Amino acid sequence: MWELLVRSLEASTIFLLAALGELLDQRSGILNVGLEGLMLFGGTLAFIAAQTTGSYALGFLAGLAIGGLLGLAHGFFSITLRGDQVVSGMGLWILSFGLTTYIGNPYTGPLGMPRIPSLLGLSPFVYLAFVLVAAAWLVLFRTGLGLAIRSVGENPAAAEASGINVALTRYLCVTLGGMLAGLSGATYTLSYNPVWNYNFLMGWGFVSLALVFFSMWNPWILFAGALIFGVMWQLSLSPELLLPGILSRYVWRAVPFATTIVILGLISTPWFRTRWGLTKPEALGQPYAKE
Amino acid sequence: MRIGRYELTFQPRPERPGVHSALTAIPAILLALALSSLLFLPADTGFLSAYRAVFSYAFANPHGLQATLYRAIFLWLCTFAFLIPLRAGLWNIGLPGQVYAGALAAFAVPYALRVNEFPAPPLPAGLVILLMVLSATIAGAALAGLAGVLRAKLHVNEILVTMMLNSILFWLVAYMIKEGGPFMSLTGEGESFNLPPPLYAPLLRDVPFTALLALAAAGLLDFLFAKTTLGYRIRVFGLNPAAARYAGINPVALSLLVFLLGGAFAGLAGYHYFAAVPGVYKIPGNYGYYGDLAFYGIICALIARGSAVGSVPIALLFAGLSLGARFAQGQFHLPFGVDYALLGLLMMAFVASHFLYQFRVVWRTVAAEAVPHVPTGIPER
Repeated sequence: MWELLVRSLEASTIFLLAALGELLDQRSGILNVGLEGLMLFGGTLAFIAAQTTGSYALGFLAGLAIGGLLGLAHGFFSITLRGDQVVSGMGLWILSFGLTTYIGNPYTGPLGMPRIPSLLGLSPFVYLAFVLVAAAWLVLFRTGLGLAIRSVGENPAAAEASGINVALTRYLCVTLGGMLAGLSGATYTLSYNPVWNYNFLMGWGFVSLALVFFSMWNPWILFAGALIFGVMWQLSLSPELLLPGILSRYVWRAVPFATTIVILGLISTPWFRTRWGLTKPEALGQPYAKE
Repeated sequence: MRIGRYELTFQPRPERPGVHSALTAIPAILLALALSSLLFLPADTGFLSAYRAVFSYAFANPHGLQATLYRAIFLWLCTFAFLIPLRAGLWNIGLPGQVYAGALAAFAVPYALRVNEFPAPPLPAGLVILLMVLSATIAGAALAGLAGVLRAKLHVNEILVTMMLNSILFWLVAYMIKEGGPFMSLTGEGESFNLPPPLYAPLLRDVPFTALLALAAAGLLDFLFAKTTLGYRIRVFGLNPAAARYAGINPVALSLLVFLLGGAFAGLAGYHYFAAVPGVYKIPGNYGYYGDLAFYGIICALIARGSAVGSVPIALLFAGLSLGARFAQGQFHLPFGVDYALLGLLMMAFVASHFLYQFRVVWRTVAAEAVPHVPTGIPER
């Protein structure tokens, strides 16, 4: 049982890191539906870099770098070119899905390095994610920069008029958000499950994206959501721990995804929207042209 | 962007005539072909012979050409499944899930009739095949319809819902065909039972009849979009949902309709690959590969810019290219996944061409007085 809890916390960390990055994007008004692609690329390059150099640090650096770079690319398309953010996001995802399958294939298999030492029985990334949630909340809701980010996401024209550089703020957010997604992928392939496999994520990124919608764009609710999904995900991988012998293990694998659809439906009902719907960044997904 | 006395700006194109759409598709394809030469870098031979091998296998070799056609039919159907909601501004990326749903529903018909247990089928074979096709299209439509209803009624993001459904259906197929699932074959572990020969889809000159359905659908769809009221409504809704609402277009019914129609094509694609392609006639253990292949439908529809007829040659080309790439992979000892990489490169090429489609690149000479005064360090007086 303890083992399950530890693994669940580690799974939550993957969701949390990626979703936190996406939350930052969306708070500044940029929707990146290609989150899973950023994670795939971050995880794959981190795995390759770590295996070829034998250094975990270089692996994580590679993951951060490619995540930031892809985030920047999404920013260029959606901020500078004012393109359709869904087109760019889906483009990034398909690009990453295709290219990582090709690039990573020769490295299929286990990482073959000593595991990253755990801290008080938990992976160090669990603590890192916790610190990052607190930091994200502090920055977003207690600093001038956070106010700038949120106002850019709500009403970029008004923000611009009050002296905030909209493009710069958004670029900052998409790059940081991309780096967090890359870190999340790297944590997956280097710490959570250090085996490279084609399309190893199988939906983690899209669940993380859904978590951001569940969180009402608040890091603490996101944290709670990631914990719940971490436990659920781990249970779906080993259902015999709780309910031995009921249903095939394949059916259990589908449960987190089905739950996601149900929650998405619930939070979209008029009942929910009229109470808490206003938290959605007003300018989310809309290109902004400076007058 | 300013470079010396010249200013480089990107201006949105005021109008985009149809010819222009075709003209941006061609550079996108050429760019993708050029980029895919990077994939042949690790090959034992030069670029040209690698390309020659890819194309001659896909389009000149009798076996290859046949396989290309089978794959092209699949891609056509997947393309329409993505294209119809796209015209209404909605993203149906649930193609793999709908393909799996179609396959499962098609195989449910012979399973329910227990055709493998009786010496003679209880119903005429033609009727059973018809039931299989109907069942597959209805299953695909129902699955996509779920995303359509959620989108229409509650504004739930359709990308997330369809993606979740992909994962759910992926595991459902695993449950059905593996580890003692209902559809598991008696002999082989990890794949479904084989269809009995009378239930093989009828062939017209070695090509399954689904080819005719797909080609007819291409023409009908473009007619629908260009000449009918419904098509006009779908386009208006896609271009400007708010304006469509003012014009009295019911957004709920329309969102649902495009998803139902799209899903039906994806379900049919599932029927085609697993029940109509000669040599398959079962749900194989690597069904996930065919699901991934369905994503080519997205890129075909995007590059064709929503034209169903336009997507026909594009999908045929990509079917051959992905198949030939797989072949070259074995011949030239390339890493696995060339066909996946091609998918990514095509997407990159599309985004680049999309940019050219939307913007004009304009060079302008900056008037002399507008060039900022550069301090020279020499005193003014």
